[in-house]
Amino acid sequence: MVNKNAQVVLEARQVSMSFNTGTASEVAVFQGVSFDLYEGEILAIVGPSGCGKSTLFNIIAGLLQPTSGSIYVDGERISGARGHVGYMLQKDLLLPWRSVLDNVTLGLEVRGVRPEQARERAMALIKSYGLAGFEKARPNALSGGMRQRVAFMRTLALDPKAILLDEPFSALDFQTRLVLQGDVRRIIRDRNKSAILVTHDIGEAVAMADRVLVLSHRPGTVKAIYDIDLGVAENDPIALRRSSRFNDHFDEIWNDLDIQVSSTA
Amino acid sequence: MVSTVTPVPNSGSKHSTHAQGSSKPEGLSEKFRIPVFQVLLVLGILLTWELLVRSGVAPVYLYGQPSGIFEKGVALMREGELFIHIGTTAFEAIVGFAIGTTLGSAVGLALWLSDTVARILRPLIVAINGVPKIALAPLVIVWFGVDMGAKVAIAASLTFIVALISVYQGTQEVDQDLVKLMRSLGARPLTIWRKVIVPGATPWILATMRLNIGFAMIGAVVGEYISAKKGLGYFIYNAGALYDLNSVFVGIFCLMVLALVLDVVLLKVEARFKW
Repeated sequence: MVNKNAQVVLEARQVSMSFNTGTASEVAVFQGVSFDLYEGEILAIVGPSGCGKSTLFNIIAGLLQPTSGSIYVDGERISGARGHVGYMLQKDLLLPWRSVLDNVTLGLEVRGVRPEQARERAMALIKSYGLAGFEKARPNALSGGMRQRVAFMRTLALDPKAILLDEPFSALDFQTRLVLQGDVRRIIRDRNKSAILVTHDIGEAVAMADRVLVLSHRPGTVKAIYDIDLGVAENDPIALRRSSRFNDHFDEIWNDLDIQVSSTA
Repeated sequence: MVSTVTPVPNSGSKHSTHAQGSSKPEGLSEKFRIPVFQVLLVLGILLTWELLVRSGVAPVYLYGQPSGIFEKGVALMREGELFIHIGTTAFEAIVGFAIGTTLGSAVGLALWLSDTVARILRPLIVAINGVPKIALAPLVIVWFGVDMGAKVAIAASLTFIVALISVYQGTQEVDQDLVKLMRSLGARPLTIWRKVIVPGATPWILATMRLNIGFAMIGAVVGEYISAKKGLGYFIYNAGALYDLNSVFVGIFCLMVLALVLDVVLLKVEARFKW
């Protein structure tokens, strides 16, 4: 459940994006997308493939300029990449020549934080989230789940208000994925962060998010935003999925997604 | 002469020497089997060669003779003359290699910073790379004279262009999502270059180095063929003109040994950079 009295951390206002394909007319990816992200909430975005979810993230991160509309973070309009949001992708993108510790400090280095201070902050994260003893290891020595955990630490190290999660669990095996979903959800809650999660997995969206935003086919528009209330206080992914309301939410969103199973093949 | 080169760093190469061995447990006899066959193969070739010459089937002035080559080699080493030739060629190749590879890699890395400049230069680089670079050797002789400096310059220009092309390609092969991640962190292009592109292209630099040591040797030896007073290229060319085939082979074996030694050194360097 989202607390609508909470502060709005990130705002999308009538964001539209179209690409000029050169020869023919412009291709509209999405149109007039608006939503609010409240402090402390996880907002999941689901939609059919090609509805521009990744493009939307690039705009929010300031890597792309929208054709029209704007993004506000803490009331300030975004006009370029400034590290105002944390960005976590499907690939962990750890630098193989750096140790775990030095990977976590990457963003802090870019930000110009003094090395000792950066290391201190990174070590605190590494210790509190179960990677103690691995700080000197190279990414190659870690499992996929651990690597993605390090990527999450790297995202957290900058202490961003909002975190963008671009299908961060999709490359992991099922068990690891469940564990990480639970951990990430718990950490975001504990630190009172806000996150936007893009996923193909409706179950993941329902289990992790406070609200689920459904995008339509291209050009993508906001079809509906669902409040998720599983009535479960814990972050355990299994307990969340066991909730009687899990399937109701799942069905509701599945029907809204309007995916013709027979024609997708 | 290879005119187009795009070395691909093989991450496996660093441990390829024991990769085949480590995959399956093997006994002592298994471990020595390959070297034994290798030695037998070389001995077999030398023996056949020697017999063909001794029986008169192959004339010695056209093919040389293993026993003669050995004697010649020992004699040349006693005189010390051989070491001057080896030293000269090694110096020219190594200095040319160092200058060409360093400058070429630096320019290749720097080109990442400006897509515009890279696109302007692309046809020019492709054209130069398409020319068998040895064809440029006479120019270098005219500009740098016939001393060691000219051979260094040939080796340097050969290795420069190879390093430039492959290292630039290395920068383009760095995962674009890494660049995106860095940008999302608010990094400027120069920061991205320093923290991601340069280390990310390092495997290409190392692969280029091993390729380039061969090109540097070609440059030095060909330079010596054209005009020189010492060096293995000069020595081989001279002996060939005199139909002293045994000396030609002594020179060729020296080049082989030199190439092997340099390759081993580079392998050690490469292993240090492994992550």
